[in-house]
Order: sequence, then C-alpha cells, then structure tokens
Amino acid sequence: MAEATSKAQSSPEADPARVKARPARAPRPPRPNYRHIHRFPLPVNAHPVPPVIPHNPLSIISAALSYLSFLISRPSQEVHSAYFDPATSSIHVTDVKAIRALWEMGFFGKGNLSRSEPSWLEREKKRRGLLGGNTSEEVTRKRRSERRELKLERARSERLLIEERLKREATARELGSLSVPPDDSTDPTATTIEKFSVKKAMEAKYRARIAQNGGSVPSADESASTQSKFVRFSSVVEQKEVTSTSTVPLQDSSFADGNEIDVEDILENQEHLQLSNEEAFFLVYGLGVLRVFDREQNAVIPTSTLLPLLRRHSYFPSHPESSTLSPDDPFMLSYVVYHHFRSLGWVVRSGVKFGTDYLLYNRGPVFSHAEFAVIIVPSYNDSYWSETEERRDYVTSKQSRSWWWLHCVNRVQAQVKKSLVICYVEVPPPTGSSEDTGALLAQYQVREFLLRRWIPNRTRD
Amino acid sequence: MGDKDEDAIRGTSVEATQIETDLSDETQDFRLLNHLSFLTDSNSATLPKRGEKDFEPNPTEYQADILSASRQAMHNALAHPRLHNANNKVIGYFAPDGPVPPPGVNIEDPAKFGGKGVGVNVHLESCVYVPNPKGQYFKNMGQSDRWNRVWLLPEEALFLIERGSLDIRWPIEMTSSLDDEGSEELSIPMSLQAAYASFIGHAGLTLERYTVFTGLKRLGYALARAPGWDDSARAEGNTLKDQNQGGAVRHPLKRGPGLAGILEQIFSWASDPFCTRSTAAGPVVGCGMHRSYNDIYRKLAMIPWYDPSLAIERDPLDTTPPFRVVFHAYRPSTPIKKSALPPPDFRIAVINTRETESIPTLAQLGALMETTPLDPPHGEKMKRMVYMRLRHGYRNVILAVVDQGIASYLRISDAAFGKEKLYETQSASMGSKKNGNHRGKR
Repeated sequence: MAEATSKAQSSPEADPARVKARPARAPRPPRPNYRHIHRFPLPVNAHPVPPVIPHNPLSIISAALSYLSFLISRPSQEVHSAYFDPATSSIHVTDVKAIRALWEMGFFGKGNLSRSEPSWLEREKKRRGLLGGNTSEEVTRKRRSERRELKLERARSERLLIEERLKREATARELGSLSVPPDDSTDPTATTIEKFSVKKAMEAKYRARIAQNGGSVPSADESASTQSKFVRFSSVVEQKEVTSTSTVPLQDSSFADGNEIDVEDILENQEHLQLSNEEAFFLVYGLGVLRVFDREQNAVIPTSTLLPLLRRHSYFPSHPESSTLSPDDPFMLSYVVYHHFRSLGWVVRSGVKFGTDYLLYNRGPVFSHAEFAVIIVPSYNDSYWSETEERRDYVTSKQSRSWWWLHCVNRVQAQVKKSLVICYVEVPPPTGSSEDTGALLAQYQVREFLLRRWIPNRTRD
Repeated sequence: MGDKDEDAIRGTSVEATQIETDLSDETQDFRLLNHLSFLTDSNSATLPKRGEKDFEPNPTEYQADILSASRQAMHNALAHPRLHNANNKVIGYFAPDGPVPPPGVNIEDPAKFGGKGVGVNVHLESCVYVPNPKGQYFKNMGQSDRWNRVWLLPEEALFLIERGSLDIRWPIEMTSSLDDEGSEELSIPMSLQAAYASFIGHAGLTLERYTVFTGLKRLGYALARAPGWDDSARAEGNTLKDQNQGGAVRHPLKRGPGLAGILEQIFSWASDPFCTRSTAAGPVVGCGMHRSYNDIYRKLAMIPWYDPSLAIERDPLDTTPPFRVVFHAYRPSTPIKKSALPPPDFRIAVINTRETESIPTLAQLGALMETTPLDPPHGEKMKRMVYMRLRHGYRNVILAVVDQGIASYLRISDAAFGKEKLYETQSASMGSKKNGNHRGKR
C-alpha cells in the first residue's frame, strides 16, 4: 500500500516535465492510469497464496512456504488516523498519505475544497503556473465556458434571423404584397435547418481542435464577438475566466523551473479529506484501517463509543450523551444500507447531488457513472411498533413520503440515466444497551426495490 | 467523479429526448394534423416529424402565421365530420341489476348455469348487454351468455360509448310500462353523461381505475379485471402477513448447522490462524492478513437481506388496498382467448394520490409484490449484464398512480442486490479492458 501511495504522490511531480516536452497546448492530456492507481478495491492488504497444483509438488512447497512465512512474520496493516470534530459532526483526515490511500483504494471521503477527489493543491499549483495539465475541475470549467459561448452565439444567430425576417416582412409590406416572402410556414420542419445547435457546434469545435492539434487561435476572435452583446445569459463567468487566466502571466516562468521543494514549502496544503460518518465507521468497524481521535482529549475513540457518538450526532442539534438511542436514528438506517452495499462490492457515495441518499458505483467514480441511486425508507413491521396508538402515529409519520416527492426523485434519476432504488430498512424494536455491534446490525433487514417509469407507449411489443 | 455525473445531466439535456420520449409530455404541434393522411388517404403509413419549438414570442409575422396555421389545423381536424355508419351500429342495453336472462325466459335451475343462470363466463358485475354484437371490439371485451348476448363490464361499456362505438339504451322497464308491448326501437338512448353517472361507482369502478383502463385500452392493450378487484374482499383463512416476511430473509452472519458449520469454522481458522475477527467490536474483517479481496467482502457480509426467490406466493387478497393488482394487461401482440386468458404481461395496481397520500410501506409493497409470480431475469443478455439483471428484478408490478386524472405508471421490481456479488465480477474482470466504462443500455 505504501508503494501505491508513493507512486501516486510522485506522479504529479513527474507531470510537468512530461507535459513541457509536448507542443504548447495538447488537445487532451492523457488520462491517468486509473486502472493501476485504483487497483485495490479497499484500503486493506490482501496476500494471495500461490496456487496449489496437486501433481506439482513444488507448488505445494511454495504454498506452504508462503503460509509459514506469514505465520512467522505477519505483514502489518497500516492504520490511518482521523479526528472527530463535534462542532460539525464530521470526521476529518489530514495526513496526506492517508488521504491518498483512502481515496485511491475504495474512494472514501471527499476533499473539503474539491468536488470529490482532493485536488486543491494540484489546482492551486496549476493556477500559479507550476504544473501543466488540467484537473477535472478546470476541464469542467473550460467546457462550461465554451458551452456558454456557444449558447451566446446561438442567441445571436437567432436574433439575427429574427431581425432579417422582420426586415423582409417590412419590405414585403411596402411592396404591398400581403403574403410573407417565399414562405414555409406550413412546413414545420423547414425552420430546423437554420436553427443553431449547441451540441453540433460543440462537436464541430472538438473535431476542429483535433485537426489543428493545438492551435490557440480560434478562441480569440470568437470570444470578442460574443462579448455579452445579448443579455440572454449573464457574462459573469466570462469575467471570471479572464481573471483566472490573467493571474498566470504574473508568475515568473523561471520560478516554475526552479526546485519543487521551495514551492511545496510556500504552498501549504490547506485541504483535508472529509469522511462521512458512515464511511468512517465502516473503515473503523468494518475494515479496521482507521483510528478516530477525539480532538480535545487527543485519545482514540474506541468502536464501542464511536457508534453511539455518531448515532447521537446524526441529529441536529446532536442529542445529549444521556439520551437513549432509538433504533431508527438516521445513522443506523444509513449505515446499515451503506454496509450492505459496500459488502457486495459497490462503491457507495453520497447521492445528495441527485436528491437521493446514496449513489452506487461499480468499481469507482473514475471508471464509470453511477448506475444506481438509492433512497432509504424505514419500515416498522415488528409488532412492537403497532402496540400503542402513539407508536403507530410515530411510525406513520416516519414512513410517509408523498407521491410527488417520489415522482420528482424518479424523474431526476431518469434524466441523469440512473436507476432509482428504494431501499427499505426494517427497524427492530428497541433493545437494551448492546455492546455487540454485529448482533445489533444483524437485527436490521434491507430489501431493495427498483423503480422505473413505465411508459406504456414503448412496451406495446 | 462528481463532474462526470454532472456531464451526464448536461449531456442529456439534448439526448434526453431519446431516453424518455414520452409524447404525451410534449405540446402538440397541431399543424401536423394537416399532414396526417388518414383524413383523406388511408394508405400512407409514415408518421409526421415533429417541428422545432419556439420558446419566446417574437414580433415576426412568420411566428404569428405558424401559430394561426396551427390553430387552423386543429380546427380543421375537429371539424372533420365523423360519421357513424348505420351498418356498424351496435346497440346495447343497460341492465342495472346485473346479468339476467332475456325477458320471457324462465330458468328452472339458475344454479346449474352459474351467473344467475345466464352463463358461466359472464361476469356478475356486468351491466350492459349487446344482443347483436359485431365489430372488432368484442374480440377482447365482454363475455357472451347462452343466448348469444355479449355482457359488458361497466368500464368496457363506458369505453365503447365514449369512443362512439356503442349506443346504450335505458332498460325498457325504466322508461315505459311493462304491459306496453314496446319494441326495442322505443327505448331511450343513454347520454355520455348518464353513462358516466351510471357506471362510475358501479361495482368498484372508480374514476381512477377507469382512467387507467381507458388510457391503456386506447394504446391497444387488452385489459382484464384481476382477482384483487374488490377492495372489501379479504383473504380467507390464515393470512401469511406476519410469518412470511421473515421466511425469505438471508442472514449472512448465521453459520450453517451441525458438521458443516464446524468444518466451516475450522477452515476459516486454518486460512487465518491469527483471526482477530470480531463482529461485536470490530474490525469485522480482522487485523490479520487476507488471502483475497473476495474473502474480505465475504467477511463483511452481515446485514440480513431479503431474497425474493425464497418468498412464498401470496393470496392476491392478502394485501392492503389500493396496493393490490386490479388489472391484468396484455400487449396488443399477445393472442387472447376471452374464455381462457393467458398469464398477463403486466399486473397493474391503481392508486389515487388524493386518498393514499404516502408511498407504500414495506409491508404493503412487499405483500403486493409477493402476489405476483416469480419472474427472474433470464436470457443470454441478462446473464451477461449485471445492471440489466438488477433492473429486471425477480418479481414486478406496475403501480398506476393517478393524480386527479393524470396517470403516471411506475414499474417496481424486487431487485435483490444481495444475489449479485459484484466483487466477484470485479475481480474477474480486473484484467480485461472492455469492462471498464460500459453502461447498460436502455
């Protein structure tokens, strides 16, 4: 594991030299080898035993040897450190090595200054002209501004079209002919030819860029001509672009060639990895690769107190220490679901962007889009929950979700090509304080339903 | 990464039309009606293309002309004379008391023939009979009795009268005196309003159910009432409600009984003699070393999950209305014999959002799901693609959620993620390149 992290650490430093050697602006920097970087699905070491082939005695010996060597000196598993911040009810990892390890093996956590992968330092270096290449945030920003430009252009071309038509109509009126010039108003398809398609323009631009192989000419005159002439979209972003690019020349270019160590000193990494409480508990309790420290006492929080702590902090404001834990607190429900999907091999990440509880990635977000979005709904089938009127009311209020809400979530998922999963969690009746976390988790049950719009038009045959 | 997903959002703003083209969602361009040739010529079979939308009004006459042309087209279409050919005229009679034998016929032993002595197949809640049935509509609607009259259910009668294919008459007893030897010509036709008033609410037909029925019917589906139609009906005998839920749950933590369990323990000790594994205090996978990631994942499995393939099928009445299958739907291409209906292509439950405001609870949805037969993913394509398998599920049902006349359909399936050990496919495909970025296609 240490090997993997050091490799990943060294790769950005190797980058500038590689990129410098290329022509000024390559059309697309090569993607990092994600297959290699993220080859371990979990931040735990696995040591495969050499295969035993019965008719080959050597293979048996080698297997036995490896077995023995493990008995004598066991490979150590690295345990990372994090601390719990009670004010924000969150868990932070500040050690760079731990951050890389947790991100690369299993995609845990999120950089607090980044969208997901902690990349603030790299972005900052690039902003100061120290590194070549693009971070994903920059690529996105560039694409967005391009798209915006094209939309402005579309607005302009549409406006021109309208003006032209108005002119033609005016001349036609002057000439006294009542009918509008060579008209195609009865054919609705005729207008499509003249319409400006952003998608097509985007593709054309991309193709042109490949053909030119990195000429920086085209953007200059285009951006000048579209400069916020038409107030269809605000020009705020373009201004932002200008400021961000204008900072680059400020930096002395010789400075970039200077030794990296100085730069590292000047640039302190201000970013940390934030783990969701479920992720942290999974790393501590499930995998045993994380220690969570109490920030004030500087002591490791043992698993037996971490769970109640996180459960109390799943409410806002967090419940006091004296309060009794209810079996359906948000942390238990979400952790049960998190653990369930993790144990099946899914990479589980927050689905808050799409209005769901979780997103399920196959292998990880760098490889493919999430295919499933999960919403969690508690269920109270145990007879305990229907014993008194009060409990029945409580349960009804906890289970109720409106149809409109469901339709909203479902339509959003369809739009982003994800499938919606409703994950019901069966809540057990409250039990006395239990130290056995495994037994506690085994009392819950999950059941997944897949939900999709059914369009009768399309299932006719 | 996050941005990838957002790409998907933006990307689909253009492609969205391809994924989820639902014509009913779009505004109609009525000019297309001019191009529809059914008004003049029934031979050409091409569908017209949709035009480009204008999003903002502008002062051009061009746009105004398009608008007026569109309006004109709509008026033309509406003004097109719709004629009822006298040869195709079908007359039905309203029978408010349900299926009865024709006047003047006395049946000595009604029980012998079933259905108040009319015929075995005739539905007891039928309320319109057609003495002289003809036309394509009776191919999958209605049931004929011993006197060759076809009896229609209220929704079928309402559908036919609404589309102008049936002329329903009030019963003669209600409009004239009995001794009057009035022939059938004297009977009074029923208006559409009267039909709605008489049939909606008749024998469990709610407006929501009718909305679903007529909507699917117009798309060419054949529909039949399912056994769960009657909301007040309850399952007889002991209900499975309580014990069934637990029966199909897999508990990964429980060890196998007897010798197998002991062997399993010995084996797990041998593979990791320093087993520090503890589910009570963690870490679940133990601090020792692991032979493979699959082992780690197997150790992590500890949350009980529901396995739909183990569940026992339920009585359709052992459910909570409205989460109950009320319609069986058949695709237009499915061959149907009215007397012996094949297993349905779709099972539909109808929900009125104004009455049932919340989405179903697990108990309600689970019960509904268990009344449907097991329909596991099969076929070569499903075998290959995990996503498709998961999306298809093991059982499925369609919820027609009707909100004040607007029906939205949801297909719900029992997914059983627990049956798909994703880590096995991952470790198997780590080396192959093509498994990387593929997405299941819809």
